[in-house]
Amino acid sequence: MSSIGTSLLRRSIIVKETLIHKADPRTKFLFFLWISIWAYIFYDYVLTTIFLIGIIILAIIGKILKRILLSVAVIVLPWMALGVPILSVLFPWNSTLMYKIEIFGWQIPFYYEGFAWGLTWPLRIGVCITSALLFYLTTNPANLIALLFKLKLPFRFIYAFAAATQLIPLLVDEAGTIYQAQLSRGLRTDVGIIKRIWNFLILIVPLTLSSLTKVQIRAIALESRGFSAPVIKTCPYDIRFKNIDYVFFIGIAIATLIMVYVYTVYGFSPIVHLKQYFISG
Amino acid sequence: MFKQEVISFQNFSYSYPTKRNVLIDINLKVYKGEVLGIIGPNGAGKSTFCKSLNGLVPHFYGGSIKGNVIVAGMNTLEHTVAELSTKVGIVFQEPENQLSGLALTVEEEVGFGLSMLGFKKELIRERVKEAIEKFGLKGLEKRSPFELSGGQQQRLAIATIFAMKPEVMVLDEPAALLDPIGKYEVFSTIKELIAEGSTIVIAEHEIEEIAYLTDRILFLKEGKIISLDNTRNVLSEISKLKEAGIDPPSVTELTYVLEKELGNKFDQYPIKLSEAVKLYSEVLKIK
Repeated sequence: MSSIGTSLLRRSIIVKETLIHKADPRTKFLFFLWISIWAYIFYDYVLTTIFLIGIIILAIIGKILKRILLSVAVIVLPWMALGVPILSVLFPWNSTLMYKIEIFGWQIPFYYEGFAWGLTWPLRIGVCITSALLFYLTTNPANLIALLFKLKLPFRFIYAFAAATQLIPLLVDEAGTIYQAQLSRGLRTDVGIIKRIWNFLILIVPLTLSSLTKVQIRAIALESRGFSAPVIKTCPYDIRFKNIDYVFFIGIAIATLIMVYVYTVYGFSPIVHLKQYFISG
Repeated sequence: MFKQEVISFQNFSYSYPTKRNVLIDINLKVYKGEVLGIIGPNGAGKSTFCKSLNGLVPHFYGGSIKGNVIVAGMNTLEHTVAELSTKVGIVFQEPENQLSGLALTVEEEVGFGLSMLGFKKELIRERVKEAIEKFGLKGLEKRSPFELSGGQQQRLAIATIFAMKPEVMVLDEPAALLDPIGKYEVFSTIKELIAEGSTIVIAEHEIEEIAYLTDRILFLKEGKIISLDNTRNVLSEISKLKEAGIDPPSVTELTYVLEKELGNKFDQYPIKLSEAVKLYSEVLKIK
């Protein structure tokens, strides 16, 4: 696995004393849901870019900018680089011609609809992932588990959540170990694509089995320490809304009013108006 | 010497869903403050024995069971693993896999079990401080548990269990995957626990260490009790041990071989180096 991928997936809470870290996990989770829903309501790459910039500003406050930019670089930019040229040409609903490029004597038309799709979808996914990371990277997992118990969510759900937070780092560690073991036993990497796919399958089986075993052992360890005990869990931290949370709520409320206004006046895609300017020159 | 009964196996037999007769007709009692060692070849049922003490067998693994295991007055069949966690603490082989994965620092990890059991914050702080000091984790409190060495992680696992103050501590080959320094750290920690008067059940391949640590030994083979006696008597059964593929302590085996070779009869076999030095000094003086 690439070093970027590995560092993204690794056990990842970043311990800092920032306003974002101090905010209640519920506030951050609400923000993640709120901004993701708005990113999907509006089909508009300008607005979605503004959402993403907003998240980046919060990431700067939370001192996790590097990780957020890394995820944007890994997830958003490659999809854009791939999606924009392909969809601008081949998107089934293309109708508004922007310009033509001559390649090897061929006139290739580029259309606005595909271009907008190619930009908007990676940005939407980027908003979801970065806002989720903002929540995940700045929230203490033990605190979060205690909060889930406090919210009286079903035990099975909490257990599944805990296992999921542990599974990714385990998989990353294990994949590295198995890959190195197979390399040292003569697995060739300078081979064609079919052989590489086969190599991947060879990796998948032991990876799945050993990761399941490890997750089971950890589940046993958690259970042996009273994870499912039917008592009110003690949270090592103070879980209650603070001033920063109320500031957040006010900000969300104001932004919601603005967005509702934009939606009712301009519709789900305000960029259409910009398109008119673009087309009319 | 030991009076109060803490563990009682009553005609206990167990089969996993995929493997039959892993433990067969186990009957024994362990008393408060006693250290019971469990030895046996691979597949003898040592780990299953340990897991039956805190209810993982059968609650987690399923399978069929006969008889009862009573720990600190609680029948493991009638109580959940979480309920039993206040009575029995268990430490496994792999240091990293038994970390909760949900705590960011060593002190949070130590307090994790107590938090899950709903202890008061003040008590958690007190217990965490005590466990950290006792098991040499001072100075590492703010470190991530995943940054520690194997030996430190295993000490952390023991400290975590210790903080919960269970009546019985079960150690399932706690040093099996560690390097020599890690092993030394873990066995030093176990000696601390023994000095505290804890009731301990320890499954271990390191027979030399077992000789130093335990009061009695349960010798298992293919799920059955081969011997259950004081440490010296079990470790002196050289041929039985050898037959099961277990190497007795070097000094005990040496004495056994010398007895055969020279025809000398020793009253008892030494099981520790200090005992061997004393015995051979006397023998050499006589010569």
